[in-house]
Amino acid sequence: MRTLYRCLLWLHPPVFRREYAGEMLWIFDQAAASQGAGALLFDGLGSLARQWLLRSGWWRIALALGLAVLQVALGGFATLIFGHRHIVEPAQNPSVVNIAEFARGGSIAHQPLTIGIVMYLAVFVTGGLTIMVIGLSFWMKSFVARRRHAALRVR
Amino acid sequence: MIEDYTPFLPLSPAALHILLSLAGEDRHGYGIMQEVARQSEGQYKLGPGTLYDNLQKLMAQGLVEASPKPPAHDDPRRRYFRLTPFGRGVLSAEVARLEGVVREAKVHLRAPRRAT
Repeated sequence: MRTLYRCLLWLHPPVFRREYAGEMLWIFDQAAASQGAGALLFDGLGSLARQWLLRSGWWRIALALGLAVLQVALGGFATLIFGHRHIVEPAQNPSVVNIAEFARGGSIAHQPLTIGIVMYLAVFVTGGLTIMVIGLSFWMKSFVARRRHAALRVR
Repeated sequence: MIEDYTPFLPLSPAALHILLSLAGEDRHGYGIMQEVARQSEGQYKLGPGTLYDNLQKLMAQGLVEASPKPPAHDDPRRRYFRLTPFGRGVLSAEVARLEGVVREAKVHLRAPRRAT
């Protein structure tokens, strides 16, 4: 059980592990008899989930990925509803000309899917994800600072 | 200067018990766990994962800080924690809020039930 708990601690984010893992293991040795090793292991699992999902900032990436998937899904639905005819009747001269038109701001709905367009989409989605993650990070930092500042303000 | 503690309220049960256990004296992690069990008469048991997860959050919020040096007779590897003045203010505000809840509950529980 001790080895299992040690593995669980090792799976925590490095910052948390460096700070508290030693003390947590020491407490496990002290309290395993009175509280039960199983209960402590279960508590460690809860801590592991909270640390990765809430405290480490990974939730921002998960949120950004979720938003990106939603964005792609909505785009797909919109294409199905509004761009159906264009997909059924593809343009006669695909490839370079179409990519150039797409780059000039033309609609993608009437373009046949070429490697160039897929690459453009990949670049845009990656760029969008990066911007979302950076934006959320800044927003969260300013949100925490605002909360702290609000708590200290004079009435 | 009056500080506004409302953004920190209500406290979670774990945070409330940790702050309460540190109100009397500085304690190390295991000491906090034992004090929480004592104060709640064994009804609320805090595991090390929950404890250090909450301590990390409370330290980031400035309610708790690491005590500079542990008592001379104690194991130097153990880290001690203490309540900051700001943390004490938050704890007082939470206790006042809970007093209001208890007062309100007593009034409503004492009042006779209306027939439907």
